[in-house]
Amino acid sequence: MSRVLAYCGFQRAPQVSLPATGVQAAPVQVFHLNGLDLLWSAVEWPFIPADMQKNAVEFHGVVHHIFNQAAVIPFRLLSVFDDHQSLTTFAAENYQRFLEDLDRLEGFVQMECVIYPAPASVQLDRSSGTAYLQQKATAMRSAEGFVQSLKGVVAHLSREVRLREGKNGTRIFVLVQRSRENEFRQTVNALPLPDQLSRRVSGPWPAAEFLSDQVKAPQIASQKIAGEQ
Amino acid sequence: MALGRRTLLSLMPNDFESVGLLGGEDEVSLLEILDHVLNSGVVIHGSLVISLAGVDLVYLGLNVVLTSVETAISNLQAEENRRRK
Repeated sequence: MSRVLAYCGFQRAPQVSLPATGVQAAPVQVFHLNGLDLLWSAVEWPFIPADMQKNAVEFHGVVHHIFNQAAVIPFRLLSVFDDHQSLTTFAAENYQRFLEDLDRLEGFVQMECVIYPAPASVQLDRSSGTAYLQQKATAMRSAEGFVQSLKGVVAHLSREVRLREGKNGTRIFVLVQRSRENEFRQTVNALPLPDQLSRRVSGPWPAAEFLSDQVKAPQIASQKIAGEQ
Repeated sequence: MALGRRTLLSLMPNDFESVGLLGGEDEVSLLEILDHVLNSGVVIHGSLVISLAGVDLVYLGLNVVLTSVETAISNLQAEENRRRK
């Protein structure tokens, strides 16, 4: 069974080069609509689990080929359209919001820093409930302090910062000016880190965390709006 | 790298071993790629239709994600073991 796999959307520009092939070595095709380009391939669906890693890397390769040249809105790998008509309908309904987000994100990339308990400090003191809670509270304060410091030192490089708390740590997403990624990396890595925490910096990534809700999940967002009326 | 039963959503980058998968200056870990291509970006109508229909595709889709992470972790662990020898 064949499906239409969308990779990403970007603003049409003659200087942007396109990759020849994508997932499953399928030709990468472009759908144009009013200044928006959507890249897609016809792929065999569902994916074979054993090929999943390969598919993910190929998908990443296509998105980053464009992302290295321009702002992109990535699709998720396992989201597929039933057919080309569905892609056309989707584009007609959403191209304006896509273009607005692309305008807003032009010239920016997403950098990430995750902070998590250092391996040596993972063993929490469980001798008493009080000791355990105190240790957890200290770790939480350390993490909050680091996040505040990070926001301060990258303020001149960034436009927006978002956080996502997980059970294993805090993920910090920063919208950084393109070409200043190394400066961001050096600045964050130079920031003193409490002993009980470790950090990992990654990026640049497409600014997916900073997409508007209507672009991130068009159907869910429109259902929410309809429900609120 | 000891991992229990966890889904991709609960993986954090401290679980990620950089494998220099794509070459170049910046090493990108396979799990970071999986995390981004599966968890970041636009979710389209098609996947919701599949979900509402309740057919095997959704089940299979989830299965694919979990399988891929388990496989990715096994591969990374094997790679790490090889390096240590």
